[in-house]
Amino acid sequence: MSRTAAGPGAEGAVSGMSLHTLRETTASAQASATCLEVAKLNLYYGDKRALNDINMTIPSKMVTAFIGPSGCGKSTLLRCFNRMNDLIDDVHIDGEVRLDGQNIYDRAVNVAQLRRRVGMVFQKPNPFPKSIYENVAYGLRIQGVKSRRVLDKAVERALRGAALWDEVKDRVHDNALGLSGGQQQRLVIARAIAIEPEVLLLDEPASALDPISTLKIEELIYELKRDYTIVIVTHNMQQAARVSDYTAFMYMGDLIEFGETRTLFTTPRRKQTEDYITGRYG
Amino acid sequence: MDNADRRPDVRDWVASGQPWIWLTAGTVSMSLIMVVGLLALITLRGMGHFWPAGVVELSLRDGSLMLGEYADHETVTAARVRGLGIEVPAEREFVDRFLLKVGNRDVTGADFRWVNDIDIVATRYPTAAFVAEREEWGNFYGFVDGIREGETQLDEGVDLWAEIDARLARKQDLAARIAAIEDDAMDSVNYALERLRLRERRLELDGVPAGDEAHARIAAERAELDQRYQDLSAELAALHHDIERDVLLVHTVDGEARELPFAKLVRVFRPNGMSWLAKLGHYFDKAGEFVADDPREANTEGGVFPAIFGTVLMVLLMSVFVTPFGVIAAIYLREYAQQGTMTRIIRIAVNNLAGVPSVVYGVFGLGFFVYFLGGSIDRLFFPEALPAPTFGTPGLLWSSVTLALLTVPVVIVATEEGLSRIPRSIREGSLALGATKAETLWRTVLPMATPAMMTGLILAVARAAGEVAPLMMVGVVKLAPSLPLDGNFPFLHLDRKFMHLGFHIYDVGFQSPNVEAARPLVYATALLLVIIIVALNLAAITIRNRLREKYNAAET
Amino acid sequence: MAASNLPHHISQQFDKELEDIRSKVLAMGGLVEDHLHRVLECFAKGNFEAAEYVAVNDYKVNALEVEIDSDCTEILLCRQPAAGDLRLVLAVSKTITDLERIGDEAEKIARLVLNLRNTTALTTYYVGMLAMGHHVRRMLRASLDAFARMDSEAAFRVAHEDREIDAETDVIMRHLITYMMEDARSITPVLDAVLSLRALERIGDHARNICENVIYLVEGKDVRHVALEQVEQELELRRRGDD
Repeated sequence: MSRTAAGPGAEGAVSGMSLHTLRETTASAQASATCLEVAKLNLYYGDKRALNDINMTIPSKMVTAFIGPSGCGKSTLLRCFNRMNDLIDDVHIDGEVRLDGQNIYDRAVNVAQLRRRVGMVFQKPNPFPKSIYENVAYGLRIQGVKSRRVLDKAVERALRGAALWDEVKDRVHDNALGLSGGQQQRLVIARAIAIEPEVLLLDEPASALDPISTLKIEELIYELKRDYTIVIVTHNMQQAARVSDYTAFMYMGDLIEFGETRTLFTTPRRKQTEDYITGRYG
Repeated sequence: MDNADRRPDVRDWVASGQPWIWLTAGTVSMSLIMVVGLLALITLRGMGHFWPAGVVELSLRDGSLMLGEYADHETVTAARVRGLGIEVPAEREFVDRFLLKVGNRDVTGADFRWVNDIDIVATRYPTAAFVAEREEWGNFYGFVDGIREGETQLDEGVDLWAEIDARLARKQDLAARIAAIEDDAMDSVNYALERLRLRERRLELDGVPAGDEAHARIAAERAELDQRYQDLSAELAALHHDIERDVLLVHTVDGEARELPFAKLVRVFRPNGMSWLAKLGHYFDKAGEFVADDPREANTEGGVFPAIFGTVLMVLLMSVFVTPFGVIAAIYLREYAQQGTMTRIIRIAVNNLAGVPSVVYGVFGLGFFVYFLGGSIDRLFFPEALPAPTFGTPGLLWSSVTLALLTVPVVIVATEEGLSRIPRSIREGSLALGATKAETLWRTVLPMATPAMMTGLILAVARAAGEVAPLMMVGVVKLAPSLPLDGNFPFLHLDRKFMHLGFHIYDVGFQSPNVEAARPLVYATALLLVIIIVALNLAAITIRNRLREKYNAAET
Repeated sequence: MAASNLPHHISQQFDKELEDIRSKVLAMGGLVEDHLHRVLECFAKGNFEAAEYVAVNDYKVNALEVEIDSDCTEILLCRQPAAGDLRLVLAVSKTITDLERIGDEAEKIARLVLNLRNTTALTTYYVGMLAMGHHVRRMLRASLDAFARMDSEAAFRVAHEDREIDAETDVIMRHLITYMMEDARSITPVLDAVLSLRALERIGDHARNICENVIYLVEGKDVRHVALEQVEQELELRRRGDD
C-alpha cells in the first residue's frame, strides 16, 4: 500500500473488479461529489508536528468517521476544517484544505463566514446559559436576522431536524441548562444546523452521554446525512462502524488508512489498523 | 504486658487528630465571638440611647437637690475618694460613684456631674419631673410651672400637659413651614440669584457691553427674584413672630425659674410618668428622628440623615465610576492582551495598588483630581465663578472618583477571575456558529461573567463604604449646608461637599464640644453605618445570586 | 495478516476466549476425523464395532457444536470483535456447522453399513469407495490443518481437490449403477451404497467449505460461489500492490 492512504476514489478503482461489484459501484457513485479535500496538510504545535502530511478526500452527503487512539491528531484534523485551531497560540499549518475547491486557509477567506458553512458540535454539550430558543437562534441573530417570524420558523425547523422539537416544544423559552445531557447535545446540534451549514463536524458528540442518548444521537446522524456532509471523531469504534460510510484511522499524526467503513472494520489493510480496531498492543 | 512508661492516652489522643480539631474550631469560635461581641456592643449601646431613662431626684448630704438621668457608674476605693478630701466613713472600703446627666447647661454650665453614694441621702423619681429637648443648650430637667401665651399667662385650671402638647404641635407645624420656605423656596431663589450673578460675570468675561440686551434681561430677572425674595422674607418674619408666641414657664430642681420659648423646644416629656407603651412610642420617635433629621448642636443631637444620604450617594456614584472602568480594563487584560511578561507585570501592579494605604489615595485625589483636574475644569468651564472654585475644591465627584480609583483593582481582579472561569467550550461554541470574537464576548462571555463582576463590586462597595481617611481630603465635611441632591437644576451637584457616616462618627466622638453626651450617638451612628454597609452588600449579593443561578450550570 | 501473527489483545481474557474456541474447533475437527476414520476402517476390515461406535457417539460432535456456538455468541455479545477477530468468530461459526454436518454424514454412513452385518455387500460394493474415503479424510485433515495454521495457500490447494473427489464419485457411481443393472436383487444394498457414496462426497464439499472459511478468515475475501482461480488471481494482484 502506498505511504498515504488512498481515498474512496482510489478504493473504487480497485473494487471496480471486485466481487461485490454492485454494492461498491453505488457507493463510489455517491462518493463522486467531493466536499472537503485535504492536501499535504501539516500542523505544528510550536516545533512539534501534530499532523503529518495528510491527504484525503471527504465525500459529500456522507458520514466520515475519524478513529484512532488519544492524541493521534483526529480532533486536531477535524478542527482544521473550520479553522478552530486558529484560536490556539503557537499553531502553524501548511498545506491545503479545500472546501468546494477553495482553500480555506487562503488569506481572502473570512473565518466567521467559513464557520457558518462548516458547523461544529463538541464533545461536551455546551449550550449557552440562555433559553432553548435563544440557543438555536444564536447563529441567526449573529447574522443579523431580527424578524420574529423567520426566527420562529428556523428554530422549529432546526429543533425538528435535531429530533428535539417534540420534547421541548412547550418550553422553548426555558433555560437550556435544564435539559438532560442528551437533549443538550441535540440542542447543540440543532443550534449548529439552524444556520444551515454544508458540513457538520462532530467531535466525539456522544462520549459524555448515556447509551440511550448516544443511540438517539446516532439515529440523528443517520437522518442528518441526507442534508449534510458529516465528519465525526469518535473513540467508540462500534459507533464509527454503525454510523459512518467512510472511516479514517489515524495514528501519531499520520493518516494510516482511509476507506469504506465496512471494509475497514472487517478487512483492514494495515496491521496498525487491525491492531487498533481489534484492541491489541500496537 | 507493656512497659510501664507507655502513656497511651495522650499519645493516642494526639494521634487521633482531636487537638487539631479543637484548635481549628477554637479559632473559628474566637472569630465568631469577636464579631458577635462587636455587633452586640454597638447594638446595645447604640439602640439603648433612644430609650427614655427615668429622671431621678437625689437629696444630697449638704441639703442640695439634683435632678437628672444616670449616665454611668463606677466603683472606686475609698482611699482614692479620701485623697480628694472627701469624708468617707471608716468602715467603707469602696465608694460607688454615679455620673448624672443633669442637663441645664445654660444654668449650671455643665451637663454631667459625678455623685458619690455616701453623699446621697434620698433617691426619688418624681412623676412631675420633665425633660425638655431643646434646639440649643441641650436638655432641660426640671418642673413645669405654666404657659405664657404672648403677654398673658394661662389660667391654672387648664390641663397643662394637653396644652403643652398642642402648642408643641403648633410649633412643629410652624417650624416645618419656616423650613419649607428657608430650605426650598428661598434656597431656590438664592440659587437662581447666584446663577444670575455668574451669567452676568460670564457676559463681562465675554466682553459683552454693559448696555446690551442680555444685561437688561438679567436685570429684569433679578428684579423679579428680588421681589420674590422680599415676599418670602416678609412671610418668614410673620412666621417667626408667630412661633415665638408661646413660652413654657419652668423651674429647676433648685427652684430657679426659667422661661423656655416653645420655638426652641423639640420634645417635652415626663419619663417617670410614662407607661411602657408611651416609652416605646418615644423610643421609635427618637430613632426615627435620628435616621431622618438633620443634626443639631454641633452634631451631638438630632439625626444623621445627611450623613446617611452622603454615604449612600457617594458609594453609588463610586460604583458607577468603578464598574465600567474595572470591567473594561479586565476585559482587555484577559481577552485581548497578549499573555506574557507585560500582562503579568500589569497584574502585579494592579494587585499592589489594592495594598496602598487609603490615605495615600486621598493625597493623590487632592493633588491630582481636586487641584489639577478640578482647577483645569474651573478655568475652562466655570471662569465666571473664579476665584471661588467650583470643581477645584473637594467635593462629591472627587470623593467618588478617588474611591473608585482605590477600589478598581478589586473589580479588575474579580472580573478577570470571572472571565477566566468561563469555559472554553462556551466560547468555542459561539465561534463555531460564525460569531466573531467581539460578538462572542458581548453576547455570551460578558453576560456569564456578570456574577463575578458583581462580586468585585460587592467587595469594592464594602471597602469604599468604610473608608474615611481619603475622604477627609477630597470632599467630606462635618456639616454640609445642603444635600448634594436637590430640586435645583442640575439636581445632582457633584461639586458640593457632603457628610459621611464614618467621618460623622469620628467627628462626634472626638471633635464635639460635649464628648460625654455624644458617646451613645457614636455607637448609634456606628450601628447605622454597619447596617447600611450590610444592606448595600445584601442588595448586591442578592442580585449576584440571581445572576449566578441563571448561569450556574454552565460554570461547573 | 493472519490472526496468529498479531500481538496480544489488551484484554488477555479476550485472547483466551479466542484461543479457546479455536482449539475447541480443532478438537471437534479431530473428533469428526476420528469418526470418519472409524467408518473407513469398517469398510476396509469389516470392523462393525467401529461403525457402531460412530453411530453411538455422534452426539458428542453435536454437543461440541452447541458449545462452540454459544461461545461464539458470547464473544460477539461481549467483545464486539472487529477485523481479524470478527472474521475468526464468523469462520469458526461456519466451520462448526460444516464439521457437524460431516459428523452427521459419517453417522449416516455408519448406520447404513451396520445394516450389512451378515452380508457380503460390504466387500462387494464398498471396497471401491475406500480409496476415495481416504482421499476425503486427507482432505478433511488438510483443511483442519489449514485452519489451525491459518494458511490460506494450503486452503486453496485443498479446495481444488474437491474436484477430484467429484470425479472419483462419478466413477464409483457408474460402477454401482452397473451392479444394479446386472442384478435386480442387488438394488437395495447398492442404493445404500449410493447413499454412502453421496455422503462421502458431501464430506468432501464440507471440507472445501472449511477451506473457504479459512480463506475468508485469512484474506477477508468471501470465495463462496466464485471460481477459485479468479480469487487467487485477485489476491495475487493485491499482494503485489501491497509490496
